[in-house]
Amino acid sequence: MASDGNEWELSKENVQPLRQGRIMATLQGVLAQQDVSTHTIIQQQKRAFESEIRFYCGDDPLDIWDRYIKWTEQTFPQGGKESNLSAVLERAIQALNEQQRYYQDPRYLSLWLKFGNCCSEPLDLYSYLHSQAIGTTLAQLYITWAEELEARGNYKKADTIFQEGIFCKAEPLDKLLSQHREFQARVSRQALEELENDGDVEEQMDSSVSEPQRSTLAELKGRGKKVIKAPISRVGNAVKFPSQGQRLQYPPPQQASIRPTFSVFDENKMADSPPDLPVLVPQPWVAPPPTKSKENELKAGPWTMGRRPRSNMDSSVLASAVTPSFTPYVEETAQQQAMTPHKIESSINCVLSARKPGKEEDPLHRVQSHHQDGQEKKEQPMYCKERVYAGVEEFSLEEIRAEIYRKKRREELQTLAQKKAELQRKIEEMEKVVREQQENHKQKLGVQQQVEQETAAEFSAVSKDLKFSPTEQQNVLDTEPIVEGFLPECFSLKSNFELAENNQCKNSNSSDAEISPAVNSSMLFSIFDESSALENKTASLSLGLSLVCGKHPLVVRKLSESITAKENIPPENSDELHGIEPLSEVAIVTGSHKNKTLCPNPEDTCDFVRAAHLVSTPFHGVTEQRNQLGDKLEQECLESKTTPLNQQIAVSEEQYDEAIYVKKLSPILEASQEDTRSSASSGSPTQISTVKFQQIPEKLELVHTTDEITNDAENASDDSPEGLQNTECKQFLRRLPDLLTKASGFKLEAQLMPWMELEKEVNLGNAIYHITREYLISQNDKIFSAVPANVTNKDSTAFLIKVHSEPVPWDFYILLQLQERLDAEFVENFSQYFTCFLYHNGCVTLHETICCVTLQDMIQYYKVIPREVVLLIVDNLLEVVEKLHKAEIIHGNLNPETLFLGDRIYNPFAMEKTNRALKIVDFSHSLDLQLQPTVNSLKSFPITQTQIGQQIFDETTPVHQVDLLGIANIAHLILFGEYLQVHQEKDSWKTNRDLSQSIDGDLWNTFFDKILNANGKSTVPLLRDLREELSSSFDSSFPKRLCDSITKLEDLLHVGDMILT
Amino acid sequence: MAKQQSREQGITLRGSAEIVAEFFSYGINSILYQRGIYPAETFTRVQKYGLTMLVTADSELKNYLNNVVGQLKEWLSECLVQRLVVVISSKETTEVLERWQFDIECDKTAKNENAPRQKSQKAIQDEIKSVIRQITATVTFLPLLETTCAFDLLIFTDKDLAVPEKWEESGPQFITNSEEVRLRSFTTTIHKVNSMVAYKKDTLL
Repeated sequence: MASDGNEWELSKENVQPLRQGRIMATLQGVLAQQDVSTHTIIQQQKRAFESEIRFYCGDDPLDIWDRYIKWTEQTFPQGGKESNLSAVLERAIQALNEQQRYYQDPRYLSLWLKFGNCCSEPLDLYSYLHSQAIGTTLAQLYITWAEELEARGNYKKADTIFQEGIFCKAEPLDKLLSQHREFQARVSRQALEELENDGDVEEQMDSSVSEPQRSTLAELKGRGKKVIKAPISRVGNAVKFPSQGQRLQYPPPQQASIRPTFSVFDENKMADSPPDLPVLVPQPWVAPPPTKSKENELKAGPWTMGRRPRSNMDSSVLASAVTPSFTPYVEETAQQQAMTPHKIESSINCVLSARKPGKEEDPLHRVQSHHQDGQEKKEQPMYCKERVYAGVEEFSLEEIRAEIYRKKRREELQTLAQKKAELQRKIEEMEKVVREQQENHKQKLGVQQQVEQETAAEFSAVSKDLKFSPTEQQNVLDTEPIVEGFLPECFSLKSNFELAENNQCKNSNSSDAEISPAVNSSMLFSIFDESSALENKTASLSLGLSLVCGKHPLVVRKLSESITAKENIPPENSDELHGIEPLSEVAIVTGSHKNKTLCPNPEDTCDFVRAAHLVSTPFHGVTEQRNQLGDKLEQECLESKTTPLNQQIAVSEEQYDEAIYVKKLSPILEASQEDTRSSASSGSPTQISTVKFQQIPEKLELVHTTDEITNDAENASDDSPEGLQNTECKQFLRRLPDLLTKASGFKLEAQLMPWMELEKEVNLGNAIYHITREYLISQNDKIFSAVPANVTNKDSTAFLIKVHSEPVPWDFYILLQLQERLDAEFVENFSQYFTCFLYHNGCVTLHETICCVTLQDMIQYYKVIPREVVLLIVDNLLEVVEKLHKAEIIHGNLNPETLFLGDRIYNPFAMEKTNRALKIVDFSHSLDLQLQPTVNSLKSFPITQTQIGQQIFDETTPVHQVDLLGIANIAHLILFGEYLQVHQEKDSWKTNRDLSQSIDGDLWNTFFDKILNANGKSTVPLLRDLREELSSSFDSSFPKRLCDSITKLEDLLHVGDMILT
Repeated sequence: MAKQQSREQGITLRGSAEIVAEFFSYGINSILYQRGIYPAETFTRVQKYGLTMLVTADSELKNYLNNVVGQLKEWLSECLVQRLVVVISSKETTEVLERWQFDIECDKTAKNENAPRQKSQKAIQDEIKSVIRQITATVTFLPLLETTCAFDLLIFTDKDLAVPEKWEESGPQFITNSEEVRLRSFTTTIHKVNSMVAYKKDTLL
């Protein structure tokens, strides 16, 4: 029966009526609560209110309390202790105490009036309210007050209250007036009936005898002689004089006879009452009236009345007699299941226990004392007391903190979700574009499959294209930190995943390019068998570089098979290992990759050890190599790709163990972990750790830039045009022309390049530098900013160390050429003092006193870069490129990450040097057109790998355009914080962004229009033209405004510095 | 009533109409008492359905109700009534505060039947009793009627019915933003009465 939604009826006795009624849904829900879940929901809601009270920051705290109280009333229909209503009311009153603005608020008044219902003497409370001028303009106060008085029979006072209310013009007045009228009607009717009753009580008795009825408290004995008539019928009017529901009790007729002899003052009968109505005098209340009688409160009584406890015997006798001798009447229709629902589950509801007298303070006393406290207020709590005790329940400090955290977290998550959705959208768009382009490319590919050599080259192109998709995504991911300044974890994980994909597709592609499967496997992998070390060496040499991807079990499995075949390993070995194959790759991959500095990670080591054990199959111990390990490891990190392959090390199991347990894992070992692991799963009897030259150990770092992937691609296909290009100039430089060796600042160091790492010191020439920051350009090129170790640097200038992993001083060469071809103009945008250290395995170019803040940093730290600064930078960029092109040098990779801020921006005293906004130190991708006049392919430039590059460039585009597009891209990035996106419109390229709304919209419109649609024009005049275009906005007030905006940037730049260094 | 009890255990259309009309008579009285539309002292107690019912002693009201119920009975036996609504509205603002709605489903096939339907008088009475009990119990959730109220009786009939002399057409008098609670229903197999009460929700949460 409880299921048909009639719980309310079954529990009607447990539901207190409410003035405003109840919501049936809530009522049903609460009454139907059979399980803990409803209870917890209620607790959660309560919790929500409690925390809302604490963390509310709006201007209407009463609102929460109002809702909380209404909720409590609705949710706890049976009232009582559990509802805690009086406690909530009390706390609300305390919390809102002395808030004058609420005094005439009906909600506040109703709060008090509800509280009044909890008090034993509501009248006191009403007069307190009146004295405090709370709700004195509200009719409800007077109505409630008068009702209470009327209920107590004090009609005169009640009338006075009404009069007072009408006098005060309490709102709504008509309601008050109508209530007053009704009151008067009731009273007059009362008086009338009383007059009748006064005349003859007996008469009334007689008149009512005609109907069967039972008189109040009369005996239930049969009356009459012949017909015994027992007045058992409950039907008919009780002998209770109609009093219309008021609590005015008249003495029952039987008691009239035993009336006491003294006369009771009856004010209604008093004829000579004073004609003037008593005036309501506000009483000087300090605090609301105290006390409230609760059902369990002890009443004062004579203590001698207590009964002596009965003996045990008595009680047992009593217990036996308990069984009733009669059968209780059971209604025929009564059904067993129609029982009133059980109150609440016992686990929730505690057993009732008698209240300890005096233990609990009276709530109103507390209110009172609180009020007085509020007036004194001497103590100053040093914790957030008001939050701990704000609601009815007490919150712990931790809970408060957690709540604050959650709030913040929620906001963060919201913004993140928005960003993520946006990014996802972008990625999808780009993927679509990429897919289209791939389609196109494949079609082209089909045509060109005639010459075998060409095919190989094209394969490499395909592999580039395939990688292109992750690259694009990476680009998007890169823009994220620019916009927001932090890279959320979810994205970094994602990019990690993409990297894996990338690697896989790289591998598969490179293997496709090969002809025989045997070579394929050796390409990916090389096995060292110490018993035939010589043979192995030759094998390794033949393949040049071994690229191993250990992250994809699929690939690895395939490998293991081919290798087994090749090396004639007993089949049981590989079988055995097939079973053990799944090592926790994820743990290794994520573990080592997240760790930027590659410090030993215990988890990794575990897997590492296991991996080592797996390989501990037949092994002919090589002891002599053990000693070499340390040295070799050191060497490994210095090795470059072009050095002969004598660095391949056979690492025995013992050596690994040693490395794990005795020495701490070196970064290199850790980095080579994947290699080790994959060879383990391949089941080779011994393993070789072909450590890839880790000039930059973080080759799998998350910031996988475009260049890096491009370079990978280049490495994968040696006969690509870029490769040719590079080798050409490398060969030229390797001969070390006199031009270089005789130049000042060129130092040939007959040693290996020193190891450079963040926060470490490095010895260059005769000076020691402390590396403070690193800027990644590509796998082979890196820039570090450093300060001389003995100088504590005060400004943001530093030494920049450009490291190239090949012993080719290309940067130095370009710088020299520029110096020569530009003469005086050289210093403006290039470092004045630069030195080159050429090592066996690399080359270091040291630039002196250059601001270590890049353009990228600036874009990242300022959401909006002042218009003047934008103009300055773009103008300067145009100028620089113009100069470069004049000197017949193509920069090739204009990138905000490697463009450093020049004197004009970071140095407040260099006001005149307007043309020194930027410094260029990176020339990794530069081309000297005098040296290589015939460059036809643009593939070597990173920008051609981006979406925009693919869109705009084709085979016939002149190289100069690379820099133009670079400028456009940077300008767009500075202006809008995101990379340029273009579309074609009537044979000309347009930006996707609508510029008309932005500042200088027309200016930038023409700018992008011209720079994107150079169409093979000579770039030098074009750049000059563009500069003139821009200079139109350099009016007379420009220098002043520029100064202002730069000073604004100034502080922020230094703040940025602090973060950077 | 005595006549009915003495009769065989079967329900005819006429008897059914009588039972339903009687229910309405007591039901309306009960509502008027429970909701304090008329002063409590103007009601007297009678035993009905095994319950103590309060019926008005006010002669004017009695007449009015008898008149309505008489008419209702007529229509019921013709299966023309669809719904009876007791509307309680504020006397001053004439705003509808409560609306007791009794939907009546008439089985019109009973008009042509001769054989009485099988349902014991007692079963019907028990059903009616539970409805009346529920009406009494509604005080647990209904809002307090703070102003003096008046009541109105609306009877929804079939469209083609001619309006009798003392009756007038009226709108349905719905409550805007109301909370509705379904009460129990009873059936005589010919007439089925579904009851429901609607009340103002504005002042709630």
